[in-house]
Amino acid sequence: MTIVGRSISPGKGRGEAIVLNEPLSFLGGVEGSTGELKVADGGNVAGKVLVFPKGKGSTVGSFVMYDLMVHGKQPAAVINESAETIVATGAVISSIPMVDGIQSVSLFRTGDIVEVDGDTGSVEITGVRVRRAVTSAIVRDGKVLLLKRPDTERSFPGKWSMVSGSIEDGESPEEAAVREIREETSMEPGPVAATAEQILVREGDVIWELHPFLFRLSSGDVKLNPENVGYEWVPVGDVGGYDTVDGMDLVLGSLDLC
Amino acid sequence: MQLTREEESILVGEQGPGRQKAMELVTALGKIYGAEGLIDITSAHLSGASYKTIGDGGLKYLEDMVAGGAKVSVPSTLNPVGMDRKRWKEMHISEHFAEKQLRIIDLYGAMGIRTTCSCTPYVGPNRPSFGDHVAWAESSALSFVNSYIGARTNREGGPGALAAAILGKTANYGLHLDVNRKATVVIDADIDGSVFSYSLLGQAVGMAIGHGIPYFKNIHPEVEEAKALAAAMAAAGSVALYHVEGVTPEASSQDLSGLETIHIGKKELEDAYAHLNRTDDVQLISIGCPHLTEKEMHQIASFLKGKEKINKDVEIWFCTSAEIRDRCPEDVREMERFGPVLADTCMVVAPIEGSFQRTGTNSAKAANYLPTLCSQKAMCRDIAALMEVVM
Repeated sequence: MTIVGRSISPGKGRGEAIVLNEPLSFLGGVEGSTGELKVADGGNVAGKVLVFPKGKGSTVGSFVMYDLMVHGKQPAAVINESAETIVATGAVISSIPMVDGIQSVSLFRTGDIVEVDGDTGSVEITGVRVRRAVTSAIVRDGKVLLLKRPDTERSFPGKWSMVSGSIEDGESPEEAAVREIREETSMEPGPVAATAEQILVREGDVIWELHPFLFRLSSGDVKLNPENVGYEWVPVGDVGGYDTVDGMDLVLGSLDLC
Repeated sequence: MQLTREEESILVGEQGPGRQKAMELVTALGKIYGAEGLIDITSAHLSGASYKTIGDGGLKYLEDMVAGGAKVSVPSTLNPVGMDRKRWKEMHISEHFAEKQLRIIDLYGAMGIRTTCSCTPYVGPNRPSFGDHVAWAESSALSFVNSYIGARTNREGGPGALAAAILGKTANYGLHLDVNRKATVVIDADIDGSVFSYSLLGQAVGMAIGHGIPYFKNIHPEVEEAKALAAAMAAAGSVALYHVEGVTPEASSQDLSGLETIHIGKKELEDAYAHLNRTDDVQLISIGCPHLTEKEMHQIASFLKGKEKINKDVEIWFCTSAEIRDRCPEDVREMERFGPVLADTCMVVAPIEGSFQRTGTNSAKAANYLPTLCSQKAMCRDIAALMEVVM
């Protein structure tokens, strides 16, 4: 799976990923002479691909990164959601390849083997496949249709989702969205009210490339097929209270629904 | 980002690895902040000079830069370091620290940077002109030149400013552009006009707005007041530019329609004072953050004339530049009855935590940083009130 981000510091690096979910201050967060990580679950950054949302803290952090390089303990590469001055400066002066502009650190798992190309901004997560799917928000009277997936479902068992399914060969995303709605709800969706850029969601060794759609209906009754075990019309603001599939918030946000 | 052919050639290494690295850094930062290209600068001011703050990583970085032949291509000055380069023993500095610190100063000098080691280069050797594009680090100094002089700089970090100084260029974004220099909030100020009241005003505004570009009404700062205001707002918030009605050069072109007005008066100044004062008892009093100007040296010397330091347990440091210290020998003699007049340094970047736990200052900026950077409990009062502690 290749993700295209933005090049910040040139060079190429490959290694096992360490993924942090919080912003990182190199000053206090990493020991410059040893590479020891002093936050999250610990570990050592030497030779690893360090993935975190963004830098924070003291500007001295740039020099901690340089200290790592001096001691041969620097990460193989750095990946951020959005680069800021401290980490970008540290990466450039220490010749550590760095890429930002990836959608979310949640696409990575600690232990993934990741290749970073700081010249082009591309990031390869090895052993992870991409699967293309659609997910449709069907909205009626300010409420969105959520379907309950059976516990036996391979993908996101037992979770609430919107009307979703894989895009089949030769099918456009919109055709897939309409087909899934007909199959799973037996409703007639009508015209597409909105779409958005695809959203990436990690599940095990799969990254779902989700194509969001919005359909607005004024009537129609849901008749489930066996793919789901229940449904509810849920006020858009209440979706957060449901145990949903990953990325639902991103999809709703991309369609300006929350 | 659009680079010229020459800039591209530097980026691919045709002018050597040192300039290539500098170009990589300037373009990386430009990319992050959405610059469309680079812009020529007329000067630079560099931070990252104290061994205490940059450590061995920073020292090695500078050694490698010098070994790679790095040279600045525009007039550049250096921020304060961790000690007075001659009188460091009076500051309880260890031999080890002094050796490393002197090495850092030499390395900056080897790159062609004037090692003035002051945070107020604009009253001395490095004074930009209106409209100049510059690359300055040191939050108080860059806010002063943006605001009081009308030069243009972003908040550069140490390595970024050094890279810009080497290239003579920085990324053209943020405060280099007219569109980003517009006032974002109006401050209706009610203060007594003393330098200390400007320090508290800056603290209160920094606390109230965080970031943004304030437009002040009802104040009339001169250099010393503008310096205190800039320093406090940059420390309490991250303000890098302000306008003052009838005073600063870009104030008259501001459009204030639709802007929120915040009143800062007695109550807000009292809140700021309470925020900064966390002890009534100090071991060190340090005055000169940012560095004392010649006028402030005269004022302090005349205030101290005829007075005696009774409490010998409390040390007093006055901080300024070597140039100004040399220029005021009589003031220095008067002041040194109370404590050393130090050059090149200040209480924030010196390793005072090895010798003191409680420090008094007249600077809101210092009082913000003393707890975090120096593990001190801070007292923040005007100079007369500070001196009462020892008289």
